[in-house]
Amino acid sequence: MPESYKLPPPGQERFLAPIDETPLEETGTLDTSSPPESQWKEAWKDLRRNWLFWVSAAMILLVLVVVIAPGLFTDLDPNRADLSKSLDPSSSGHIAGYDKQGYDVFARMIYGARASVLVGLLTTILVVVLGIATGAVAGFYGGWLDSLISRVADVFFAIPLLLGALVMLSVINNRFPDRGEFGAIIAVVTALGLFGWPQITRIARGQVLQVKNMEFIDAARAIGATKRSNLLRHVIPNSLPPVIVTATVSLGIYIVAEATLSFLGIGLPFGVVSWGNDISAAQNQIRSGQRIGVLFWPAGALAFTALGFILLGDAVSDALNPKRRSE
Amino acid sequence: MWWYIGRRALQAIPVVLGATLLIYAMVFLLPGDPIKALFGEKPVNETIRASIEAQYHLDDPFIWQWLQYLGGAVTGDFGLTYSQRPVSDVIGQAFPVTLKLSIMALIIESVLGIAAGFYAGLRKGKLFDSTMLVVSLVVIAIPIFVFGFLMQLIFGVKLGWAPITVGGDASIQNLLLPAIVLALVSFAYILRLTRTSVTDNLSADHVRTARAKGLSDRSVNSRHVLRNSMIPVVTYLGADLGTLMTGAIVTEGIFNVPGLGNEAFRAINRNEGSTVVSIVTLMVLVYVVMSLLIDLLYAWLDPRIRYA
Repeated sequence: MPESYKLPPPGQERFLAPIDETPLEETGTLDTSSPPESQWKEAWKDLRRNWLFWVSAAMILLVLVVVIAPGLFTDLDPNRADLSKSLDPSSSGHIAGYDKQGYDVFARMIYGARASVLVGLLTTILVVVLGIATGAVAGFYGGWLDSLISRVADVFFAIPLLLGALVMLSVINNRFPDRGEFGAIIAVVTALGLFGWPQITRIARGQVLQVKNMEFIDAARAIGATKRSNLLRHVIPNSLPPVIVTATVSLGIYIVAEATLSFLGIGLPFGVVSWGNDISAAQNQIRSGQRIGVLFWPAGALAFTALGFILLGDAVSDALNPKRRSE
Repeated sequence: MWWYIGRRALQAIPVVLGATLLIYAMVFLLPGDPIKALFGEKPVNETIRASIEAQYHLDDPFIWQWLQYLGGAVTGDFGLTYSQRPVSDVIGQAFPVTLKLSIMALIIESVLGIAAGFYAGLRKGKLFDSTMLVVSLVVIAIPIFVFGFLMQLIFGVKLGWAPITVGGDASIQNLLLPAIVLALVSFAYILRLTRTSVTDNLSADHVRTARAKGLSDRSVNSRHVLRNSMIPVVTYLGADLGTLMTGAIVTEGIFNVPGLGNEAFRAINRNEGSTVVSIVTLMVLVYVVMSLLIDLLYAWLDPRIRYA
């Protein structure tokens, strides 16, 4: 075989009969014993070439560093208020100035990342676990289980997320008035998760219905895989791509939703340093046109974080969807 | 066709019932004593307490309360608020305002979103397309109340073009600014959805055929590309009316619009079970009716879809 001949990428091989006197075995230089590349590897190869992916990954990484080590970015205490400095503009060491209560706006922006990102991450995890479990069981086993799960999901889906979460949170707030910072975060996660899971259930169910009728599932059955192991080892992993895309985008959406709930005064209590609370506190200064910076910093940080996850979802969606792959 | 509509309507009944039950259970689980709250600082008069408890069935188990609520609702009696105003009265006043606001937002977002998305999709990768993509992402990432404040500041306080708050006079003119704010997020989604759908359709076989038989660009784009790109967009729009009406909780709060969102928020804070349940049920009904309408629209958009 001539040196210049390069093997095409896997999946695009053309098995042409040799036209010269090359012995037949030469076609065997295609290493058929090597395992085919999984869709994840393919997607990763595609993702690596997408600049959007790197931009969003860098944004998310920065936010995560801020969450884990806020002390790296500011020495100030976000809970130290100095009323004599109320609404002071920026000065050296305080680039964002002070808010109405005399808190340092920049320090609160840095420390506020934790609550927002925690709510986003935990809600997404909760929703994905619940959604895949219910969706996979409904799609795979069918029958009355499917009807039951689908109807229950319909009920939760029909109630708008924000309204449902509002009612749920007011219940939790009343039941557990002293629930601490982490308890408050868990409360918001529960409320958002309770009305968020049917979205994933629907996607996962539809995907499982498609995958379970594919030939490789029959093949696995034929070599003796049980129904259960088929579901766990073959059907669910192959149903994941659209779930992952939706989950990544909704992580950003949940962060915005938490801010909205806190803005309405029903999300995280005022004691918790969070972007939603700070934006809410800034509203009076905005109305009277004083110091827009008080709004700009927490709102900017919130938008930056949400944008990072939404962009990542976009990039992953392109990589996992072969039809829309950017060349 | 009629069979299909009837079957879908029947299927919607358990969803609506389930949603009211769910919300009723949640509200019922609320502790706190609404009667004590009514009396404020004064000591609670036990005879009045007993009569209020009887009137609102507060002593019954919640399933029984729910059934009684349902029984009343069927005859148009949605109960009273704690200030003795019929809930149907509250909703009757607030619902038209919110409906007007949401429909205005729906028109704004669909006209602008489809136009911008269509144009961007036809020119994929060009300057307009990239600008619109960035704009849409930024709009999605920024919470709606931040836009609300900024627009209120710029157009209401600084420029004086629009009233700062709406208050009692919910005319179309006064609702324009809140409607634009409400429409923003969905505008971004519709833009992206239309764009993706248009770019997918541009490379479809039927579009190539249309071009090959010599149709002008204009008629290919409008009759073959645009119409076929509308299915996902219409699906989104249908589900969106309900989302807009809840999104109005925030927008109505900022601009002080006397709508359903304001009432819902107030009722939740006051633990007013019957009001909360009625408003949520109304929202669920809007959602259910809209999804049925959308299903019927499909048949018009895509003649291959037929309902037997």
